[in-house]
Amino acid sequence: MTTHKTDFDYFLSVLDKAEKGNYVDENDWDRKHISKPIKALIKKYDISWDKSSVAVPTDDGLADRLFEAGMDLAVNTGVYCIDTHRQMLWTREELDKVLADCPLDVVVGQGKDAVTIYKRSPEEDKRVAVIGGPYGIPVVEEMFYPMTLSYAKETSLDFIENASLLTTHGREIRAKGPYDLVACWQEVDLIFKAIKEAGRPGMGVGGPNSSASAVGVLTTVSHGGFRPSDWNHNSFLSELKVSYEDLLRSAHFFYTGSYCHNFYNPIFGGYAGGGEGTAIATVAGMILMRACLHGDTFNPGTSHAHLSCSTYPEIITSKSLALQALNRNTNLMTSSFSRPTAGPGEKDIFYEVAAMHIAGVTSGVAVAKGVQSATGRFAGHCSPLECRFMADVTHAAEKMTRAQADPIVMKLMDKYRDGQVELKKGMPFNEVYSMETLEPTPEWQGMYEDVVDELIRWGVPI
Amino acid sequence: MSIQWKEIQETFINSLLEEEEEEAIRIAQDVLSEGARPEQLFESCVTPSLVEIGARFERLEIFLPEMVAAAEIVQAVNEQVIQPSIESSGGEGVGSQGKVVLATVEGDLHDIGKNMVNLMLQVNGFEVIDLGVNVSAEEIVKVAEQENADIIGLSSLLTSCLPYMRDVVELLQAKRLREQFEVIIGGAAPTAEFAHSGGFDAQGHTAAEAVTICKSILAGVKE
Repeated sequence: MTTHKTDFDYFLSVLDKAEKGNYVDENDWDRKHISKPIKALIKKYDISWDKSSVAVPTDDGLADRLFEAGMDLAVNTGVYCIDTHRQMLWTREELDKVLADCPLDVVVGQGKDAVTIYKRSPEEDKRVAVIGGPYGIPVVEEMFYPMTLSYAKETSLDFIENASLLTTHGREIRAKGPYDLVACWQEVDLIFKAIKEAGRPGMGVGGPNSSASAVGVLTTVSHGGFRPSDWNHNSFLSELKVSYEDLLRSAHFFYTGSYCHNFYNPIFGGYAGGGEGTAIATVAGMILMRACLHGDTFNPGTSHAHLSCSTYPEIITSKSLALQALNRNTNLMTSSFSRPTAGPGEKDIFYEVAAMHIAGVTSGVAVAKGVQSATGRFAGHCSPLECRFMADVTHAAEKMTRAQADPIVMKLMDKYRDGQVELKKGMPFNEVYSMETLEPTPEWQGMYEDVVDELIRWGVPI
Repeated sequence: MSIQWKEIQETFINSLLEEEEEEAIRIAQDVLSEGARPEQLFESCVTPSLVEIGARFERLEIFLPEMVAAAEIVQAVNEQVIQPSIESSGGEGVGSQGKVVLATVEGDLHDIGKNMVNLMLQVNGFEVIDLGVNVSAEEIVKVAEQENADIIGLSSLLTSCLPYMRDVVELLQAKRLREQFEVIIGGAAPTAEFAHSGGFDAQGHTAAEAVTICKSILAGVKE
C-alpha cells in the first residue's frame, strides 16, 4: 500500500496555515499576489524564448532560472485558502525539505496489474507510465459501462480514468446532494466490473468523477470502493488557491494512506499572463501542491482562457519549459496532459496529442495522461483510440532528445495551429467505435494509422 | 473645431495598457478643454477604446490583468472627469448599457471564467454586480431584485451544479418574477439543450459571447 512521505506534525502544520495565515482579500490575491509578482519575476529571472522558432526548449540555463523564479513565487506568494481567506506561506527551507523528501517512485494498482511510476529527468530513457480514459467527460448512463470496458481493454494503458455520469439510476445528480454520493458508488460498481471483465482487476483506476465535491472522495475512497492504490486525485484552483474541499480530500488521503495525483491548471491569458507567466505559476504550483496537498505525482494542466485546451502551441512550449525546470531541479514526478480542441474522428486530435506528449516526455515527465477529447465539453465525445495513440507517441518519445523533438513538435503545431480557433467536437464514442466489438470503426482506425505512418516518416520511433 | 478621435483613441488605449492613470485623465481633460462634450468623449473615445481592449483580450494579445487595469482606469476617468463635467453642465450622466447580476452557482468554486465575463461586460459598458462563487439561488434572486437588474448571468464548470442553475429560474417563477429578468448561462457545463429545456433565455461559452448575448437581449428589450 502506498503511504505519504510526510509526518503527522507536518500534516497538521499545513492545516494550521489555512487557519492562521495572513488575512488577504480575494480581490487583492489575483492582482497583488499573482499578476504583479509574476510580471516582476519574468524580468528578474529573464524568462523569455523565441516563440516563432522554439517548440521544445533546450536551454538548461533558462530552465534553471525558471525554477528559481517559480520557487521565488512559491515562497513569497504561497497558497490562498478561499474559505478562510488566509495566505498559506512556507519558507524556502521548508519547501527545500518538502522537495528533498519526495520519493523517487510510487506504485499504482495492485498485484500483477500494479505499475510503478518512476521519477524522470529530461531526455532520460526510462519508461513513462500512461493513464488514459474519458477523463471526466460527461456520459449518459447506458454508455458508461461499454465505454469504460473499451478503455480497460486497451492494453497500452497502465491505468484508466473515469467519465462523469450525467445521471444516476435515471436521477439528476446535484453537487453535494445525496445523488452525488449515489452516482459515485454507481461509478465504483461500473469501473470495477469493467476492469474485472477486461481481466485486469488490480489495475489502478481514477475517480470518482461524477462528483466534483469532496463528498465523492470521502465516501467512495473507502471500504468496498476505490482502493488506496488507485489513481486518486486532488487539486488547486486557479491561481494558487485551495479550498476546504481540497484540504478535506488531502486529509482523507493522508489518513487512508492513499496514492494521490495532484493537478493545477494555470490559465493562459488569465492572471498569470502568457507563456512566461504560466510557466512560473506552474513551477510554483507543483512545488506548493506537494507542500500543501502531499501528492505523489503532479500535473500542470495549463488551460487556454477561451478555448480551455492544453495544446495551444505557446502553452505546450511554456509547459515543456516548466516541466524541464521541475524535472531538472526536483524529484517531483510530473505528468503531461492532453486536452485537445479536436474530438474523435478529427485528424487534428492526433497532432495535438502528439505535440503535447512528445514535448512532455522529452522534458522529463513520469506520466502521460489524457485524452480529454474536445476539451471534455461534449457528452460522450471521446474514445480509447486517441489514448492508444498517446501511449504510442509517449513510449517513442522516451528515446528522443529535446533537440530531436523540437522540430517535430513545431511541425505538429503547424498542422493544427491555424484551425485551433474553435472546438471541433468530432463524433461520439458510439459513432467511432463498434458497440458490438468495442473496437474502432475502420474509418477511425484508418485515420489513426495514417497519422502513425506520418510520424514514423518524420522520425518519431513509434 | 475638428477633434481627431482616431488619434485620441490610440493614445488613450496606450495609456490604459501602460496602466498610466494620470495620462488617461489628462487626455480626457484635454479633449474636454478643446470643446468636446463629455458624452462625446465617452461615446467617441472611452467606449471604442474599451471595446478594442476587449477584442485584444479575445485574441489574447493582452491578458486578464491588463484588462482589469484598463477597466479601473476608465472608472477613474469617468469619476474624475466625465461625470463631474456632465453634472456641472446640468446633464444626467452617461447611462450604462444595462445592469447584470453575475454569479457562479452553488456547489461550484470556479471563478476565472465568470471573472472574464465580468470584465468583458464592464469594458463594453455594462454595470456588473459580481456575487462571487458558490452562490445560492436565493441570494442571486434577492440581489437581482434589490438592484433592479436587467440580466442574471450564471456560470458553472460542473455538470452536477446545473440543477442549481435551474433553481434560479424556478425560484423566479415561484416568486412571479420570471418576466422581470433575462437569465443567461455559461461556462463549460451548460449546453444549448440544457438552456432550452431549463427555460433560460440564452447560453454561451466565452466571455465575448456573453457580451454579444447581453447586447442583443437588451436591444430586443428596448425595442
